[in-house]
Amino acid sequence: MLDLGIDVLFKGTNFLRLLQGLWVSIEISLISVVISILLGMIVGVLMTMNNPILHVALKVYLEIVRIMPQMVLLFIVYFGTTRVFGLDLSAEASAIIVFCFWGTAEMGDLVRGSIKSISKVQFESAYALGMDKVQTYWYVISPQTFRRLVPLSINLITRMIKTTSLVMMIGIVEVLKVSQQIIEANRKISPNAAFGVFAVVFLLYFMVCWPISRLSNYLEKRWV
Amino acid sequence: MRKNIINKITGLTLILALAVVGLAGCGSTDKAAEQGSGEATSAESSSQGFRTLDEIKKSGTINIGVFSDKSPFGYVDENGEYAGYDVYLAERLGKDLGVEINYVSTEAANRIEYLQTGKVDIILANFTVTEERAQEVDFALPYMNVALGVVSPKDEVVKSLDDIGEDDQVIVISGTTAETYLTKNYPDIKLQKYDAYAEAKSAFENGNGVAWANDNTEVIAFAIENEGYEVGIPSLGDQDTIAPAVTKGNETLLNWINDELKTLGKEQFFHADYEKTLLDTYGADYEETLVVEQQ
Amino acid sequence: MDKETLVSYIPLYRDALLLTLKIGWQGILFSFVIGLIGAAITHFKVKVLKTIVGIYIELFRNTPLLVQLFFIYFALPKVGVKITAEACGVLGLGLLGGAYMIETFRSGLESIPIIQTESSYSLGMSKLQTFWYIILPQAVSISVPGLLANVIFLLKETSVFSTISLMDLMFTAKDLIGMYAKTIECLFLLVVFYLIMLLPVSIIGALIERRLRYAGFGD
Repeated sequence: MLDLGIDVLFKGTNFLRLLQGLWVSIEISLISVVISILLGMIVGVLMTMNNPILHVALKVYLEIVRIMPQMVLLFIVYFGTTRVFGLDLSAEASAIIVFCFWGTAEMGDLVRGSIKSISKVQFESAYALGMDKVQTYWYVISPQTFRRLVPLSINLITRMIKTTSLVMMIGIVEVLKVSQQIIEANRKISPNAAFGVFAVVFLLYFMVCWPISRLSNYLEKRWV
Repeated sequence: MRKNIINKITGLTLILALAVVGLAGCGSTDKAAEQGSGEATSAESSSQGFRTLDEIKKSGTINIGVFSDKSPFGYVDENGEYAGYDVYLAERLGKDLGVEINYVSTEAANRIEYLQTGKVDIILANFTVTEERAQEVDFALPYMNVALGVVSPKDEVVKSLDDIGEDDQVIVISGTTAETYLTKNYPDIKLQKYDAYAEAKSAFENGNGVAWANDNTEVIAFAIENEGYEVGIPSLGDQDTIAPAVTKGNETLLNWINDELKTLGKEQFFHADYEKTLLDTYGADYEETLVVEQQ
Repeated sequence: MDKETLVSYIPLYRDALLLTLKIGWQGILFSFVIGLIGAAITHFKVKVLKTIVGIYIELFRNTPLLVQLFFIYFALPKVGVKITAEACGVLGLGLLGGAYMIETFRSGLESIPIIQTESSYSLGMSKLQTFWYIILPQAVSISVPGLLANVIFLLKETSVFSTISLMDLMFTAKDLIGMYAKTIECLFLLVVFYLIMLLPVSIIGALIERRLRYAGFGD
């Protein structure tokens, strides 16, 4: 029979380590998503304001995020900052910074879009009722944008989780690095381990991301 | 609509401007550092970029960079524990320093970077001593001998690098001495480069290259452990040594390691290390050629 | 930053850029083809094939490109399927991109009012003719902004090619850092070259979007 090299996963704590590696990815994504959502709301509101300097600054920020690969940002933050500023960031901290930098821009744009989609009349009516700017945003605008944002931010989680596969490149031992280690340690006994292990990693990612993106789709259809 | 485009173009111009400013900024930092004056230098010297022996002891942990996918020198076993020839030494250093060890998994190409940015205190990742590297980091006394070697499949053994055809690719690992050597001395050979040992070996097994050039210790081990491969070129280039490395200027740590290596030499520590970690792979034949003990 | 170093590295980065573009556009072309076929299949609700397309979309949208590449490049040869690194890059990018392109084309198709299909039928056009001459041209032009966003996304994703030994921009930077430790110069050039590659696409995207909005102004 064809040896698919799946048996190596049942040796020692191999499979458990793979799951722990996956958890590292998920953890980094979750932390980054929470921070991104909070910062993204602020950035999104700032984007709707008519301050020209702010406007240009945010445009530049969004454009950088749009065209720089996350991997490049990871390298710049992890290796570059230490070189230029003498800051010593751990790999995990660098990853979270980069993912927040990216996620905040994405969330900001989404928040801006959903605020813009609310008709001007609502702002005007709120002001006419004597509400100030903060009150208007808090009581009138945010409840309406909230429903629209939930599915989109859930969608952002899956994209973050997928992108965390890159953190292997800056030395974080996550699921892909663990799989390399397992393949390497068992090369002699199980030469086909690469097939079994990578297939399982592929499925693991799918099993994590698929339900989340389904949920996001479902909410989008129901709420928006 | 037109405003949108103008905004976009302003934005893009600004990015470029920022990049240029960044460039200028970096340039001036370097210059300041060279002249030994200016703000940048004082900021740098206060943070130093490394931890002294005392600082490491005080913190209670030492960060050691090792390979996690280079069996039998540095790898992770099936229980998730780091193991191998390099790790055996790391364990002893940690014990004698009286601190916990935090292993940092490195790739070949990251080793200098990790030291220079102070992300690890010591690199014990099969780091070959070369002149170029010695300008970037400080090497301690050596603990192993090494040269380059080339392994290839048995049915088409590469005996000389001149035999390699125009379209054939030789697998190397990015940031290794094999890469530098081949780039310098055989610029016509096409190299297929990988970051990690695990990837390079899988690719070699899958037949993506006609040969794999690396430290001879590593290719010999590969030919012994995997059927159907032969080391056609067992020794290439200079005879080199492998040594622990620390951040440039970290004298307290460097001196301590050197003293420690001398003490370890007296008890024939590396022979014990070999027997514990490498004997299974190499047999007893290579013990005297590989191991270096400091007297 | 050292000017000489910068200048001496530029040819290496230029080669890397060319390789990235070569694999990038082949992969993107491939993803276009998958996108069109897949969207047509879902549009016509072809039995069985429709389910397969659905599974394909879910599988490739919910896994990272890096894992897909590892699977294609390192795992498949173990069961006898062997391809070169370049082919793997094109295939991986095409398969990933295809899953996104299908969705983009599909939403373009859905936005064409049903009355156009009905009118075409009543003029005696066949199903295929209607799709090819009436629906598709409109759907594609409506999808352009989405497609360009996908193109930028896919060109960015090429940065993971370095893991399968393709000498792209990312790899060149990593490799040079590993050999000569000139980190700042290498990272600087990396950013500059990504800007060179992606800024024009981004600007063209903005211009096209503007034209399309004008085109749609009459509605």
